[in-house]
Amino acid sequence: MLGDLRKAQEVFNTTLREAAVRAAQGVLPTESFWLFREARWLCLEASKTDLQPESLEIEEHDVAPRAASQIKQLEPAQLAVWISAAPDPQRTALALFYLDEFNYLEILDIAELKLSMLSRCLSQGRRQLQAWLDAKHTGAPEI
Amino acid sequence: MTALGLLRRRRALLNCAPISQDHLADRSMRAAVSRADGSDEFVNQQNFDRAVAELIRLVPLPPESAEWFLDKEAVRRPKWTWRRIVLNPAVLAISIALMVIAGVFTFQVLGRLNDFPGSATARKLLTVAGSTRSVTLDPVSAEAGTLSDLFFMKHGLEHYDVPDEFADFRTIGCRVFDDDESQRIAQIWVAEKRMQFFLFPAERDSKTGTVLAFPGWRYVHQEGWVGAVTEHNGVCFMAVLQGREKDLEPYLSKAKE
Repeated sequence: MLGDLRKAQEVFNTTLREAAVRAAQGVLPTESFWLFREARWLCLEASKTDLQPESLEIEEHDVAPRAASQIKQLEPAQLAVWISAAPDPQRTALALFYLDEFNYLEILDIAELKLSMLSRCLSQGRRQLQAWLDAKHTGAPEI
Repeated sequence: MTALGLLRRRRALLNCAPISQDHLADRSMRAAVSRADGSDEFVNQQNFDRAVAELIRLVPLPPESAEWFLDKEAVRRPKWTWRRIVLNPAVLAISIALMVIAGVFTFQVLGRLNDFPGSATARKLLTVAGSTRSVTLDPVSAEAGTLSDLFFMKHGLEHYDVPDEFADFRTIGCRVFDDDESQRIAQIWVAEKRMQFFLFPAERDSKTGTVLAFPGWRYVHQEGWVGAVTEHNGVCFMAVLQGREKDLEPYLSKAKE
């Protein structure tokens, strides 16, 4: 979500502190995913002061069979930075989806999205990542 | 939802198709995935997603945060308690269905327990008894036991004898008719408690033609009517009245005495 270990650590600590305070006051919310929702908002707050992505048309390519091997050549941090640079709610959608801990209904709940929006974010994210991978590894898409 | 709407929803679900099978959240997602399974586009998407998820797992966590996640699930799945299992709609529906099936099965078994050769005909005749009016019978005032001769002489019905227990009752009328299986049925109406008697051929083995005999008296019930049936010389006799078994019992115990 943040592409920055230090900020991620801060958000993590703040979220836990918030949970501990609420628990001490006996006002822990009963919703299943409030902690994740809280962390998400803190991430969005924390990244407000960062450089914001420009709103420009990003190239998109169809997901290709070669994508898996292209992804394996990436550094984990590169992918983390690529996701954290996406505009919200695409960033939240990609981060939660590829964490592979939640089903789509849970993601809709945490990210407060509709199915159509989540679908668009993920589909667009894949196509943009494919275009980036193509540009990075081959310079041009295969025909 | 229109066909176009359904297609859009299926497309949207496929775009959110989970990376691992554990996260197939609901029926609509399972249906969408199962329809698309094997298509090139979907296989590419799944391979792509798996590769990204594997790489994401390698993103280093800050050590202070990482220690929180040692041997712990990021999301604790809700525990399955007995109450949750019982109140699960699927479990509830299956339980109700099984109970209904068990009830029907028990009812059938209990029904079969009281069956005897000729019970189906006896039940049909109980319906006839319920719908018969005395005017439809030929008026005959005699002792029931003497009608055997009448049935033999007039209709050629052999062994259509009224058992001793009921032979002394005064008759009001009688008739002989064919049922829907062309069996000759003798019907007698007596004054005692407006009781009716039926005499009909006993059931026979379809292969050998031998009479399927049964000992003593057997009861049949139908819509408030009760009949006591016995078999003798290949002919069944049934005494019928509107009421319960206990109303017929005194007449049958007379024979034992």
